[in-house]
Amino acid sequence: MAGSALRRLMAEYKQLTLNPPEGIIAGPINEENFFEWEALITGPEGTCFEGGVFPAKLIFPPDYPLSPPKMQFTCEILCRWQSVYIYFTCSGDDPMGYESSAERWSPVQSVEKILLSVISMLAEPNDESGANVDAAKMWRESREEFNKIAEKIVRRTLGIPT
Amino acid sequence: MGDEGETPPGSISEDEPQVNQDELILAQQRQIEKEISESIPLVGDLEPISSLNNEYSTDPVYLDKVKDLSTKYQYVRRTRPDGNCFFRAFSYANIERLLEKKEEFSEFYKLAEDSKTALVELGFQQFTVEDFYDTYMEVLKRLRAIEDADEAKKELHTLFNTQGFSDYMVVYLRLLTSGQLQKDKDFYSCFIEGERTVSDFCHQEVEPMYKESDHIHIIAACAALCTGVKVIYMDRGTGKSCNEHDLPEGCTPTVHLLYRPGHYDILYP
Repeated sequence: MAGSALRRLMAEYKQLTLNPPEGIIAGPINEENFFEWEALITGPEGTCFEGGVFPAKLIFPPDYPLSPPKMQFTCEILCRWQSVYIYFTCSGDDPMGYESSAERWSPVQSVEKILLSVISMLAEPNDESGANVDAAKMWRESREEFNKIAEKIVRRTLGIPT
Repeated sequence: MGDEGETPPGSISEDEPQVNQDELILAQQRQIEKEISESIPLVGDLEPISSLNNEYSTDPVYLDKVKDLSTKYQYVRRTRPDGNCFFRAFSYANIERLLEKKEEFSEFYKLAEDSKTALVELGFQQFTVEDFYDTYMEVLKRLRAIEDADEAKKELHTLFNTQGFSDYMVVYLRLLTSGQLQKDKDFYSCFIEGERTVSDFCHQEVEPMYKESDHIHIIAACAALCTGVKVIYMDRGTGKSCNEHDLPEGCTPTVHLLYRPGHYDILYP
């Protein structure tokens, strides 16, 4: 039912364009292919990611929304750290498979909800389930160092020399 | 062969990049799902109760129970064991029986027609519910347009074996069930273990596809469709007969389901 997936993706795109949530821009990279999107996520205010703009890519399966999309940050440096704040596991070449959280996915979730949950995870690093053990340890034991690195990440995403 | 330097197959030296266990498990799971989907239709044909014997030829406990079952039921219709079996079976069996009762079908149609508004009022986002609702209504419309009940049953069978339609029917019943749970959350919260709220439970256990159903799902689904169901439990418990429960308690059941640990099929008296 790729037709249903397309219909739904168009509805979501329309929704995101008409009522864009704060801090999120998302849409198909190319309107010829609605199954690959790019998203820009703004680092939440009052966190070490404030001011950063983080690009990510979303790939939708043909049976979307029965199955979830895969999401991956495309800014490389964040990928090395993201697993601390985002409980999507970080593994090898697929640093951020949203599929690892597939059990929370349901057909009434949406791109908007995924991106909002990413933002809230950036705001509230979840060190309990940090897949990146070193970074999780740094978050707990040496917050200053952690924040310095986060700041570098933010500057990189904006193209400012670090 | 005989090359001492060679690593025996299956062992992983520590220097090699680590094989991702999660990936392997997922791959195996997908393989199993593929095998099931290739060998078992979403909803099968009618089979005599005695066909259950084939599964238990050396199991006296089950054979006794199949015998007991055959005194009350004539046929069984199997559904694919994919975690959606209760919702698929219930939805199918309920619509199937309504095809012979035009008046009740009309009432059911009206109930279905109004259901989207109720879901949106409960907080579901319209654009996430719409496609499932439209498919649900399209199936009901197609069936309503067929005068002859037997022809309509054939169409129902075809639609429920067409993945796109069938899965969207399942999703919509999951959403109606979730809506029912959330509407009567004070009542249902007593049945949810742990710290979870009713809406957490719905997001984690009801709305996602392939999540298996428990008692609470069944009671809420019955309430959502205003239908009573009799569940016959067939397991390795003592006794020669199967236990049965009418849900909700005291109802006159119109849908009959056979439950074997982890799976539901449809029964026909």
